[in-house]
Amino acid sequence: MEESGLRGFLKKLEKAGQLVRYTDEVMPEPDIRLIGRAAVDIAAGNTGPAVLLDNIKGYKGKQLALNVSGTWANNAVMLGMDKDTPLKDQFFEFARRWAGGSDGELKWVKNPPCQEVKITKDINLYELLPLFRVNKYDAGFYFSKPAVITRDPEEPGSVDKQNVGLYRIQVQGPDTLGIQVLPFHDGGIHLRKAEEMGVALPVVICLGVHPVVSLMASAPLQYDKSEYKYAAAFMETPMNVAKALTADLDIPADAEVVLEGEFVPRERFVEGPFGEFPGSYSGSRRQFRIKINTVTTRKNPIFENLYVGRPWTEHDTLIGLNTSATLYFQLRETMPEVKAVNAIYQHGLTIIVATDNRFGCYAKTVAMRLASTPHGTSYAKNIILVDGDVDPFNLVQVMWAISTRVRPQKDVIVIPNTPGMPLDPCSEPPGVGAKMIIDATTPAPPEVSREVRMVENLPDAEPYQKILMDLQKAAR
Amino acid sequence: MKCVRCLTDNASKVAEAPDGSKAWEVYVCSRCNFVWRSTEEPEVIDPEKRDPWFQLADVDVDDILVFSPVPPLRK
Repeated sequence: MEESGLRGFLKKLEKAGQLVRYTDEVMPEPDIRLIGRAAVDIAAGNTGPAVLLDNIKGYKGKQLALNVSGTWANNAVMLGMDKDTPLKDQFFEFARRWAGGSDGELKWVKNPPCQEVKITKDINLYELLPLFRVNKYDAGFYFSKPAVITRDPEEPGSVDKQNVGLYRIQVQGPDTLGIQVLPFHDGGIHLRKAEEMGVALPVVICLGVHPVVSLMASAPLQYDKSEYKYAAAFMETPMNVAKALTADLDIPADAEVVLEGEFVPRERFVEGPFGEFPGSYSGSRRQFRIKINTVTTRKNPIFENLYVGRPWTEHDTLIGLNTSATLYFQLRETMPEVKAVNAIYQHGLTIIVATDNRFGCYAKTVAMRLASTPHGTSYAKNIILVDGDVDPFNLVQVMWAISTRVRPQKDVIVIPNTPGMPLDPCSEPPGVGAKMIIDATTPAPPEVSREVRMVENLPDAEPYQKILMDLQKAAR
Repeated sequence: MKCVRCLTDNASKVAEAPDGSKAWEVYVCSRCNFVWRSTEEPEVIDPEKRDPWFQLADVDVDDILVFSPVPPLRK
């Protein structure tokens, strides 16, 4: 049987030439940070490999995986595509799988691999896992790619309202975690309810899961949609889950490491700073705390973490297409003229939409719609509109559209004093911002524009690319 | 032991290299929750060399901003 979970995916990456094993001895700091940074920097986030380390000083023999979802080549492997697949084609395959929505099937299994090893006494996460400081001025050692699972305390039987979220976690003691869950997160809703009820919310943190689980955990899914069902539909196979040992929570059966515990109710503790996805450090805040009481793992577990910092990083690749696909489907509900959405830049602080103009100035209403989607309300700061036949993932084409279509006096609009994203370093005060619309589409009637004919696209040229590349290969 | 970030006497050793190599120790401050390893760069673990922007000396930790305030208990 094909191995599932993170291990199965690492095998697929290895087969595609997208996994390397780093066996030379490294220091936890700063070497791991530098290796994570380098892996994603190769060809600007396009072709770098995932990295498996097993010779970390002081942690000898423990395994750490980095950059698993870090590059578009790895993303293509996750989508079952050739690793050289262009981003626009990856987007459409991603959107096709995403359209499966929450129809996926869950299968509960007993004695899952993730519970092969069980630890309930003398838990010391600093010794169990090869932790490291992700960025120099972080407050400590962080889990930057955890899957955090909680249930709605008012409806504890609801699988659909069970949440799998990706929230940053600082290891603040041998069995103690600090975690940033914001009020608008689904996990934040669970926490608010539990604190209103005065109860400790049970929680499980899974480390080292299949990248599709991380993908769904980081996606802005609706509150009552199951990340696991989305993951199953996306993978086009039932998702194996198991019951945690200490609470009625479902966990990926093949997770590498599972931390079980409870939130400390009605208290806050200092956490941060942490180098965040806009490439800036967040401040120190008082946040939630979790106490861990049980750790289970697979035998010889692989701890997985990601490097996040100045973009481009694995974080950008991980959330790039799920942000794009979410907005794409939301826009197309009422605006089928929308052809593609590129929201890969800083979680959609800058977004490029390819759309046809149904009538004059229509594209600008697409921008307004985008700016009022749940995600776009705080994000979607810079909105660029291009014609439907422009590839929004090809920045050469986008810049051409801006260069030759934009009449600044008509097509650049700034809407001041709108919601903003607090982690955006130029949101001032944090949470307040503005929207800019750049309409680089071709004017449609009744709007008038200068009579001009553009040079036609040459799709028939494409097959010649292969011929030329083969000739080039032969010439080496 | 003194915390390298908030400079109070609230830090203590919580871990050693698990492979027995004695390669490093880990320290935690129970007041500001700063965590560090004995082998990190001086700019991280030496208070004299740390960027003052990131220090929490002379800061009352109870004044630090809360993103998710504690809600009222239901009656």
